[in-house]
Amino acid sequence: MNRSIPWLLLSLAVLLFGLGPAAAQQAEADPAAIVQKFGGKQSFDATEAVIAELAATGDERVARALRALREGDLYWREGDEAVFIATRKGSDYEIFDPLTGDSAGTVPSGDLQKVRVKNSIRNAVTGALGTLTLRAENPAQRMRAASTLFSDADPEMIGPLDAAIAAEEDSAVKARMQEARASAVLASDLPAADKAAAAKVLATRADRESLTMLIRFAGATDDPVAKQAADAAIVAIQNNIAFWNQTQNIWYGLSLGSVLLLAAIGLAITFGVMGVINMAHGEMVMLGAYTTFMVQELIRNNAPGLFEWSLTIALPLAFLVSGTVGLVMERGLIRFLYGRPLETLLATFGVSLILQQAVRTIFGPSNRQVGNPDWMSGAFDVGLMSVTWNRLWIIVFALVVFLALLAVLNRTPLGLQMRAVTQNRRMAAAMGIRTPWVDAMTFALGSGIAGIAGVALSQIDNVSPNLGQGYIIDSFMVVVFGGVGNLWGTLVGAMTLGIVNKFLEPYAGAVLGKIVVLVLIILFIQKRPRGLFAQKGRFVDA
Amino acid sequence: MVETKVAGKVADDVHALTTPQGSGGEPATPTVLQGIGGAGIAAVAAQPAMPREALSASQAPVDRTLENGHGEPVVSPHPYAAQMRERRLAIEAQGRARRDTLLYLNGVTKSFDGFKAINNLSLVIEKGEMRAIIGPNGAGKTTMMDIITGKTRPDKGEVYFSGDVDLTRHDEAAIASMGIGRKFQKPTVFESHTVEDNIRLSLSGPRSVLEALVHRKDEAERQRVEAILETTRLTDKRQIFAANLSHGQKQWLEIGMLLAQDPELLLVDEPVAGMTDAETEETARLLREIAATRSVVVVEHDMHFVRALGVKVTCLHEGSVLSEGTLDKVSADPKVIEVYLGR
Amino acid sequence: MILARFLGPRVWILIAAILAAAILVPLSNLALPADHPLHVPSYLVPLFGKYVCYALLALALDLVWGYCGILSLGHGAFFALGGYAMGMYLMRQIGARGVYGNPELPDFMVFLNWKELPWYWTGFDQFWFAALMVMLVPGLLAFVFGFFAFRSRVTGVYLSIITQAMTYALLLAFFRNDMGFGGNNGLTDFKDILGFSIQADATRAGLFAASCIALALGVLLVGWITRSKLGKLMIAVRDAESRTRFIGWRPEYVKLFAFTVSAVMAGIAGALYVPQVGIINPGEFSPVNSIEIVVWAAVGGRGTLIGPVIGALLVNYGKTVFTALAPEFWLFLLGGLFVFVTLLLPRGIVGTIDHGWDALRATRRAKEAEKGETAGTDVVPDPAE
Ligand SMILES: Nc1ncnc2c1ncn2[C@@H]1O[C@H](COP(=O)(O)OP(=O)(O)OP(=O)(O)O)[C@@H](O)[C@H]1O
Ligand SMILES: [Mg+2]
Repeated sequence: MNRSIPWLLLSLAVLLFGLGPAAAQQAEADPAAIVQKFGGKQSFDATEAVIAELAATGDERVARALRALREGDLYWREGDEAVFIATRKGSDYEIFDPLTGDSAGTVPSGDLQKVRVKNSIRNAVTGALGTLTLRAENPAQRMRAASTLFSDADPEMIGPLDAAIAAEEDSAVKARMQEARASAVLASDLPAADKAAAAKVLATRADRESLTMLIRFAGATDDPVAKQAADAAIVAIQNNIAFWNQTQNIWYGLSLGSVLLLAAIGLAITFGVMGVINMAHGEMVMLGAYTTFMVQELIRNNAPGLFEWSLTIALPLAFLVSGTVGLVMERGLIRFLYGRPLETLLATFGVSLILQQAVRTIFGPSNRQVGNPDWMSGAFDVGLMSVTWNRLWIIVFALVVFLALLAVLNRTPLGLQMRAVTQNRRMAAAMGIRTPWVDAMTFALGSGIAGIAGVALSQIDNVSPNLGQGYIIDSFMVVVFGGVGNLWGTLVGAMTLGIVNKFLEPYAGAVLGKIVVLVLIILFIQKRPRGLFAQKGRFVDA
Repeated sequence: MVETKVAGKVADDVHALTTPQGSGGEPATPTVLQGIGGAGIAAVAAQPAMPREALSASQAPVDRTLENGHGEPVVSPHPYAAQMRERRLAIEAQGRARRDTLLYLNGVTKSFDGFKAINNLSLVIEKGEMRAIIGPNGAGKTTMMDIITGKTRPDKGEVYFSGDVDLTRHDEAAIASMGIGRKFQKPTVFESHTVEDNIRLSLSGPRSVLEALVHRKDEAERQRVEAILETTRLTDKRQIFAANLSHGQKQWLEIGMLLAQDPELLLVDEPVAGMTDAETEETARLLREIAATRSVVVVEHDMHFVRALGVKVTCLHEGSVLSEGTLDKVSADPKVIEVYLGR
Repeated sequence: MILARFLGPRVWILIAAILAAAILVPLSNLALPADHPLHVPSYLVPLFGKYVCYALLALALDLVWGYCGILSLGHGAFFALGGYAMGMYLMRQIGARGVYGNPELPDFMVFLNWKELPWYWTGFDQFWFAALMVMLVPGLLAFVFGFFAFRSRVTGVYLSIITQAMTYALLLAFFRNDMGFGGNNGLTDFKDILGFSIQADATRAGLFAASCIALALGVLLVGWITRSKLGKLMIAVRDAESRTRFIGWRPEYVKLFAFTVSAVMAGIAGALYVPQVGIINPGEFSPVNSIEIVVWAAVGGRGTLIGPVIGALLVNYGKTVFTALAPEFWLFLLGGLFVFVTLLLPRGIVGTIDHGWDALRATRRAKEAEKGETAGTDVVPDPAE
């Protein structure tokens, strides 16, 4: 054991020293410095050497300089021999940094000298461009190179691409390169058969970029074979895009649906199970969101390291805050109004005004900033659609809350008592269930869940005193549409409304879409006054 | 009726054919034609009268099957004419029997979530008859009334009123206007109205909103209200708000509201629940009095009361008729005894 | 008149007071010198006028809620629709005096680059047409909406919620610029009505008087309806809807009638409101507004004729006072009012007074009965005056 420690140290030291020079070298091979070597009068051989040196850096930025060199757009300034890309602007030249492409002002044309090129230099550049990035060690870098080349559609690159494709082992990168080659082929003057094949390759890629490329090509080409292939590819791509549009719509719909579900699920308990119309439900959601804000404030000021955990910490707190407010409401107000739903509606509306105004007084009327932890931000692509992490997490979260609630209702003693009380209060009381306690707990549970929903909604919506109002009508619609007293109905109702909303939006616009949905629900209630999943039983009055 | 005679007749015929009769259930009691059809029709027996409504309801298929394709009805000679006539007469005899009954339920079934609250129930109430219905809790008595009054739609079966009015096609208000009154198990009166207003609102007459807006009380109306208050012994309570009546008085008020509707058929669900013996006596007397001019169906658990009514008794159990006859006969029926005592 | 007997003295006092206000307020504003102690300053006249419109609105709601049991959370929408109809007339009256000087198009349309008046704006340059629309549009909406809702027996809180959804949908719709109602800003900058300048004291006094007369007529109308057999039927529907069905009535038509009449009244209130406040915008459709109407009626006492009028005047006066003193506290107070009224004063002010009065009478009568007299009638529950 003891022996191994020095060895370990030694190897560590070697590693460090080994890395050190390497790192230093990397720093030394600064492409910005190398590119300056083009400056001054050079032999063609020297220029070629600089090209090789630049290619060796493996830095993608040099591609710009190299391409400019090939096109004859690379100049050096008399005097300091600084190298620029330059384009004519009237009698002057506008100059750009050769690597970043940032503008560096204008200079009179007399001050600039062109870096001389001949065909062999051009070939060297092309080769360098190919090896530069297409042969990079890192597959991600090769991938990026292929993507850039795809957009460039540069016929000169067909050769290097062919070479790279032959050498490539990573199949994903290879496919990308083939697409890049296809785009280059379309832009080249190769025979029609090749172009037709290229169109097929683009059809498999099937995104908007290849579509524009193909449409441009189909418009320009005279060759019937190539045109036919391009048209076929265009149709295929359009279908594909349409498919992904639908998928994206469904995804947005599910995402909106999960938001609705979150907002409505607490209501499904208080309204659906208990029959209490809680107009302050939206404010419970708002309180949850403000709890998240408070938690993040505290973390920011006291323990910034915990920020990634802020939502996790906020969840139980939001449940407690909203649950407690709900409990107080039930004990202090709602219990006096059981059996008088319209009065309950009014009284809880009063509470909602008070809560809103209280929050407005404490936190101010404007939006509060609630941050997204890293795992909630960003996005990734699936096919042609982009999936943001926060939407994804909210869907997952909504389903988890839903299932948890279902479990509470169906598997716990509280759930059993809740169902007993709501079905037959007096009988339940006779069986020894403390009905007031169950009422209070049920209401607190529903409110607490609204608070949890607030934590999630704080990630995608503005946290302001009006947050809750935006959700209350939608939530009621979900519960009524899904069928009062049925959690599954709430789930289906929320998702259906979400998806219908998102499918209507492209045709009708967001606002009109919403109106249409409201009208549809009103019409739907005509057909099924008790909702999608009507509660059964003999509860209609005599 | 003035349309082509034959068409009407054939239509009638086919209506009888297409409407399954109480096969096995209903004996074709030869009864005197009265009421709805009008006495005059008895003379034209070959062409029985049919309420227009029922006629049009059943006409659509008729037109298609019995016309020759040019819009003219098929008249004999027809190969099966004689045979058809035979069958028609047989069915007609039965059909007429149905038309003479006031209420006709045949094979009615209603299930709630798979539970058959009413199971193949058949029941016939004659004009002017009073019938007591008994049965253990959950036998389906109230549900049966729900079906008759249009509150619940049966899954299967026929419900006819006054011969040919298919009650399953009408809603509560229409059925009530046809002359079926109902008293609920749980007395429901308009609590924030006076006794008199309760009765006034129930008085038969136009049911249009605008008429109600410009309605004026007239002498005839006053007299009718007076008579009903008298009958239900509520004259001195007329100005009292219904909410302040005793339970028994509410029951009576509800019966009074029923009378005000001037119905042909009264469905009375547990009228004496919560009444003292004396009140029960009184109620029985009142119902007998009413039954002198109308048909009444009384649901009741109180056997003394049923005995006091002294009418034919039907015992329901699990949604169908278990036994029928005089109270003595029914209560001696071993099946009934088992249902009430055993199990 | 039979009404005299039916409505009872209290309602007549109310009507007399309204009519007196209709005469006295304009008189004191126009005829008395500004330093006279009884002078009503000009800025108060439209404010009072606003209160009176609100009172009419509360009365309209009372007809459906108090008497028919339909808690409509959409009456703000009918009010706003009436207001918009009037606003459209006032917009057309501006003519070429707008900022852009277009004789045909209102400013906001010019601003949106519209070339011609949308078809639904035609006719609104005529007062009679606008006046008709003030009643027709809310009435028709209420009729169609009510027809569907009542026919499928949507009742109770379900109905409340879909009426709320209705006004919410309208709110969203009217916020859109391409609806052609001025979008966010609504309709404003009115110049004159029937040829009179809308800013002039005399016009405002006239509008105030018109509002008072409309309110008085509204009280009479609701009084007539609720005292008729139909009114009794409404209460019957409110208390035991299904019972009315089983005696042959169709409660859906009863409710439809009440709902439509009430919407028309709300529309008229809105139409009188707009020229007095000088603006109508989509904010009037916001669900909160509709619920506020409910609290006016609740405070005063629903199911009575004078309750909603008193409630609307009281609450709105309170609102004016409080928003001047401490604006941020008004919402606390309003919220508290909701809670207080439902919890402790469910009958409202008038209802509670009535109830106490009746209880008093009953005990007195009981005492008399003890003295040997025969008892008269028992205690009455929830009398409608
Ligand atoms: N709407 C309904 N939904 C579900 N079940 C129902 C409904 N209506 C009736 N039932 C069931 O049908 C059965 C018959 O009920 P019904 O009220 O007709 O009995 P009943 O004979 O009137 O009993 P009782 O003498 O207790 O009044 C009962 O088991 C009842 O639970
Ligand atoms: Mg029963």
